[in-house]
Amino acid sequence: MELRRLALSFALATTALTAPALSLGSAHAAGTLIWGMPAETDTLDPHATGGWSTYQITYQIFEGLVKEDLTKPDEPTPPLVPGLAKAWEISDDGQTYTFHLREGVKFHDGTPFDAVAVKFNFDRFWNESSPDFYKKAKAFVIAYTKWIKRVDVVDPMTVKVTLNASNYQWLRQGLQSYGQPLMISPASVKQFGNDGVALHPVGTGPFKFVQRDQGVKTELERNDDYWGAKAKLDRVIFRPLQDPATRVNALENNEVQMITTPPWDEIDRLVSEGFKLSTNKNVPYINYIHLNFKNPALQDVRVRKAINMAIDRAGIAKEIMHGTGKPEYGMLSPGTDAYDPSFKGYSYDPEGAKKLLADAGVRDLKLVFELPQYGTGELVETWIQRDLKKVGIDVELRKYEWVTYLGKWAGGMAADVSMNEIGWGMSTPAWIGIVTRCDSAPPGGINSGFYCNKEVDKLLDQAIVTRDPVAAKDLYQKVNRIVMDDAAYGPIDDDLQPILLSSKVKGFVNPPEDWYDLSTVTVE
Amino acid sequence: MGAFITRRLVGVLPVIVGVSIVIFLLIQLAPGDAATVLLGPQATEAARQELRHTLGLDQALPVQYFAWLVRTLSGDFGRSVATQLPVAALVLPRFVNTLILTLGSLLLAIVIGYSVGLFAALRAHSLFDRTSMAVALLAGSAPPFWLGLILVLLFAIQLRWLPVSGMQDIAGNGGALDVMRHLVLPAVTTALGPAAIIARIVRSSVIEALGRPHVRVARAKGLTRATLIKRHVILNALPPVVTITGLQLGYLLGGALLTEVVFAWPGLGSLLYDSITARDLPVIQATTLLIALAFVLANIVVDMINAALDPRLREA
Repeated sequence: MELRRLALSFALATTALTAPALSLGSAHAAGTLIWGMPAETDTLDPHATGGWSTYQITYQIFEGLVKEDLTKPDEPTPPLVPGLAKAWEISDDGQTYTFHLREGVKFHDGTPFDAVAVKFNFDRFWNESSPDFYKKAKAFVIAYTKWIKRVDVVDPMTVKVTLNASNYQWLRQGLQSYGQPLMISPASVKQFGNDGVALHPVGTGPFKFVQRDQGVKTELERNDDYWGAKAKLDRVIFRPLQDPATRVNALENNEVQMITTPPWDEIDRLVSEGFKLSTNKNVPYINYIHLNFKNPALQDVRVRKAINMAIDRAGIAKEIMHGTGKPEYGMLSPGTDAYDPSFKGYSYDPEGAKKLLADAGVRDLKLVFELPQYGTGELVETWIQRDLKKVGIDVELRKYEWVTYLGKWAGGMAADVSMNEIGWGMSTPAWIGIVTRCDSAPPGGINSGFYCNKEVDKLLDQAIVTRDPVAAKDLYQKVNRIVMDDAAYGPIDDDLQPILLSSKVKGFVNPPEDWYDLSTVTVE
Repeated sequence: MGAFITRRLVGVLPVIVGVSIVIFLLIQLAPGDAATVLLGPQATEAARQELRHTLGLDQALPVQYFAWLVRTLSGDFGRSVATQLPVAALVLPRFVNTLILTLGSLLLAIVIGYSVGLFAALRAHSLFDRTSMAVALLAGSAPPFWLGLILVLLFAIQLRWLPVSGMQDIAGNGGALDVMRHLVLPAVTTALGPAAIIARIVRSSVIEALGRPHVRVARAKGLTRATLIKRHVILNALPPVVTITGLQLGYLLGGALLTEVVFAWPGLGSLLYDSITARDLPVIQATTLLIALAFVLANIVVDMINAALDPRLREA
């Protein structure tokens, strides 16, 4: 009898536990966007971090002197617009940048933004002789600061930056830099210390930091004193949800209203259920293969061409990525202003590939393909393995956990490895140099397959000092043609940055960039 | 009993030190380091070296280990490499969250396992016995993450009764009841496997106890069934059941780490996952240390309960 009572009370207890859920609607405050992100982000100090998912948060809090206009989804590259500098001049030799600062701007802590604040920030991430210098920041912002010779305060609202060589891509490089040269309130750094910026990020942006609960959420609220168009949302909450299925479930259950990196297989179903799929065809992000020039099997350009011709990129984009990727045949992505839509590269031609291999006298080719294991079953790589098998190339897939892989990739391939892969890019076309230059080879560079063509380096040197965008574009396109004539890489696809949104979300713009301007968004 | 507890507690120390050394070495053996992860693809080798130096990663391994040990013994767990936050502030709240999930699951596993097992034993070979044991076999064999997804589909997506992620309503700030609601699915997911195993052990243990001579004698003396079961069956059936339950605690702790990822429960599991991905050594060390400590202490508690139940064990 007693036992029965025990079981009954247990049943009642569980019912009591679930019952309140029945009355649960989504009791979210009006105008709150909750974004389910695929990973937890690192420190919110923009000078001392590099991950783009972190920048998706810090971009809302901080601003730089120059900004990108992220509200124009159809531009190939986001236009440069005034940020905390209302105007700037670049000297004819491309070495002196003079910034005229915006008046009346205040940091979230109420302190004024002026030339002294700008100088403080440059001192922090660049000037080793300054007491405000922060070593870790320099390590991150290096791609931007390595060009800087001196920084001068001309007057309270004017700052002059002198470079040690001509560089007309420097502003773009600043916007794409791994650590971001954004303006932090000097008072906040002095109050909380360099480590303290992590939990006290104080900028000038359209959203203010409220709180961070590591692993749970980072919460921002609207900055009502913002100098520009004020954000529409009351709050934005960023939630790390590592598991793709959890992200999808949370979206379906209205626990988040936006998810990035949705699992490809689920997209069609969710769209049919009324969720909105947002993509952008100009995101500067290419998934590509490095072919190893130290690998004996790949010395003959015909073999490298055959590999390129054997891969059915359109099939990958359609069957595996469900239209969230676009076949790519070159190493300049549509997200750069140097993109060449007329460039054809190697189209899918397995018969041609077989013939090239036969001409090269290659039989029973066995290649090793190194790749990261990222939990989606490595479908694209398995597809490539199958395609290459069709032309008589046996591919062994060697999978590594992400950090292990990153180390191997950045260290350059061993001679017995034929290919590895990565996906990234930048909206400056100078990116192609980071990937292809001889002096970008490891160690110290990420030209993981040790490709080296002096002609390419010469053209890239020319391009960076060419002020006329049309002339620079021509040079970058030439570089792309040479690199692909050498079949040094195997570009696969451009990522279209699929984002799934609840139907309640309005005004979201998916820009040709990996971070977004959330000030235009509303949630019903 | 005092000597018994002291003996067991002293045994904890070498285990904890051993675990910390093994974890420390394992992370060093894995290729790739924090500097590479943090600085990303554009960094120069000089910048990486500089960051390694700033983080103290360029020192000899024993130096790094002892520096860590001395700091930890003085109560300073250091700062997270990735987030710059103090490790203690990161790890302790997450540890509490994992404990909530683990203990919630344990409670559920015990309540379900003991009641089903006891019922089944008392009505051995009845329909209830057969059905419950078949279901227990299924639940015990099902992988928890699969079970979790099925439960989510049913109770959250279809019925909309329960939330699928996190520990409380993210936009509001729910109290204890909100946490309980969020706890239901992850706790049930984690608890079902262990509950099934406990149920089967309880059943066989009780059936065995029912057949013992002293129980027959007691029954012959005319004790009521309820008193008989309370006084003579349950107590005698308990020791093996407690041991199995203790073992399940370890399983629950491990299972909770997996369940945490599926339900975005902000416990040690997801923290460990993030910190391994970032090669964030101070956080990895502190997290694994806490897990090891919890595991060892849980085992001691089980031993103590068994010793209390069975005096013979105290002498061993």
